[in-house]
Amino acid sequence: MERKGMVARFALTSLVVLAILGVVLPSGARSLVVQIMIFSIFAMGYDICLGYTNQCSLGHSMFFGAGAYGAILSVMSFKLGLIPALGVALLVGFLFSFLLGLICVRLSEAYFVIVTAIISAVFHLLAMDMTWLTGGDDGLSATIPPISRSISQLSLYNPYVNYYFVFFFLLVSYLVLKRMIGAPLGRIFISIRENPRRAHFLGYNVTRYKLVAFVLSGVFGALSGALYAMTLRYASADYFSFYWSVLPIVWCLIGGTGTLAGCWIGVALMSLFQYYVSAWFTHYLLLFGILILIILKVSRRGMLGYLVGRGTR
Amino acid sequence: MPEWLLNVLFLLMNGLIWGLIIALIALGLSLIFGVMGIVNMAHGDFYMVGAVLAFYLFPLLGNFWLALLVVPLIIAVIAAPIERFVLRPYEGHHAVTMIATVGISFILQQAALATYGGIPKKMPDPWEVTFNLFGVSYPGYRFLIAGISVVILAAIWIFLYRTSYGVLIRASIQDQDMAAAMGIDVNKVLVGTFVLGSVLAATGGVLAAPITQVFYLMGNDVALLAFIVVIIGGLGSLGGTLVAALSLCSLEGVLSAVLNPTQSKAAIFVVMIIILMIRPRGLFGEPEH
Repeated sequence: MERKGMVARFALTSLVVLAILGVVLPSGARSLVVQIMIFSIFAMGYDICLGYTNQCSLGHSMFFGAGAYGAILSVMSFKLGLIPALGVALLVGFLFSFLLGLICVRLSEAYFVIVTAIISAVFHLLAMDMTWLTGGDDGLSATIPPISRSISQLSLYNPYVNYYFVFFFLLVSYLVLKRMIGAPLGRIFISIRENPRRAHFLGYNVTRYKLVAFVLSGVFGALSGALYAMTLRYASADYFSFYWSVLPIVWCLIGGTGTLAGCWIGVALMSLFQYYVSAWFTHYLLLFGILILIILKVSRRGMLGYLVGRGTR
Repeated sequence: MPEWLLNVLFLLMNGLIWGLIIALIALGLSLIFGVMGIVNMAHGDFYMVGAVLAFYLFPLLGNFWLALLVVPLIIAVIAAPIERFVLRPYEGHHAVTMIATVGISFILQQAALATYGGIPKKMPDPWEVTFNLFGVSYPGYRFLIAGISVVILAAIWIFLYRTSYGVLIRASIQDQDMAAAMGIDVNKVLVGTFVLGSVLAATGGVLAAPITQVFYLMGNDVALLAFIVVIIGGLGSLGGTLVAALSLCSLEGVLSAVLNPTQSKAAIFVVMIIILMIRPRGLFGEPEH
């Protein structure tokens, strides 16, 4: 109970701080915070998969990329508005994660990690190859239409609108996911994490709930990808690359798995690390690799899990 | 013989030769998984390191055979401490080992990028003999690769099934705790198997270096193929790995007559998905106890 309270307090404080930061920050730092918020949605979704049902997927770049292209292509080719384009991205993310979930979730742990990694690698290859659809490595740039409501117009080109647009989705994602985890569904997820066999004996269809968790995380991955693409007004085949599958694991491990808001710390730390270190060190991925090993060594439950765990134990 | 049949025959032959190299690499992957439960994402990078080392050592030593002997020694020196000091605590936890080896993979790739550079380079042909097959000149080095690979595969088979060391490894695959209880020094088996697996990957790299481009990301494609092979053959099943490697690579070779490389990879991927739907543990995988 203690732990839950602390995480909720942390989340509330961060949200209030984020709401204020949007007005206060200079433009450079603001765009970094926008990026952190977008990735936080991705990380929370991933946490449902890794932290709540113990499915370590190495294929989530696929949903991120699918969401990004879903949004960019529907704006470019179908001339859809901003909100319908987001809807398309979510639908694409849902379809991708549902179909792949059907194949993957019933596999055992080793097969699951390998097969998700293989699937996303193949999608990356296909995205690189099908330049007529994806633009390949060069990617696609699009003009994002404004949201029009009778007289007022909201355009993402205005940095403040962009900030609070993303903030709104972070808030909604957090509230929705928190509500789900608090509901019986979340209890079942946790029981599957703790002991899948016992959950099965209690009469729950473990495979189905694992699929639900997988699809949930896929949809939030797609939402994050769509927001990222809209903020940058750009999507490239690189979004499908393996790097984007590893990042959410690192975020969740740093921040603490199974805490939902904890991964925000991971995202913030990693983004700052990436932003500052890649500026002065070309082989920043080398440090990234070393960082992964250190994180695994130091704590399996991440920063927030570590801090909170100290209080209760 | 008609033109198209000849064409298909050559593609099939190239596929089979490539399949033998992949079999070496996938066998290493399968051994490491079978004995230690490590899902080794860095396996492709050991292949890459092998190829890069061969690129430097072959002109330096002036002898391909010497390079083929020296590279595994260097790899053994790199691989043993990685197993002992980095991966040992996570062994058996598949997802955690996968994340840890991703870290190692990034480190190896960036180390290669920093020292070797980011430009793909071509290694000189170590055996400049061509054979005349049906009026087409065919590089003799490819036959040499096939020969060496078959010899290594046979040696591995003899090692695993006809020597007392092989018994130790097979016992550890079946039941590690029981093996330890019977007085087997599991520590040595673990280090030895990881070194053996990595050496197999690196040897594949040395053999493949003259027929592909040596590049710091060259391991990614091969790791993908090796994982597909291991999944189809059944994790930890050595015979299944061999069969899957040869048949998949021949299939990919023949498919490349009509498809581009990415499309033939996608086709193999579809084959994998279908097999997984029917048999979730691969063709020769043992059911979970």
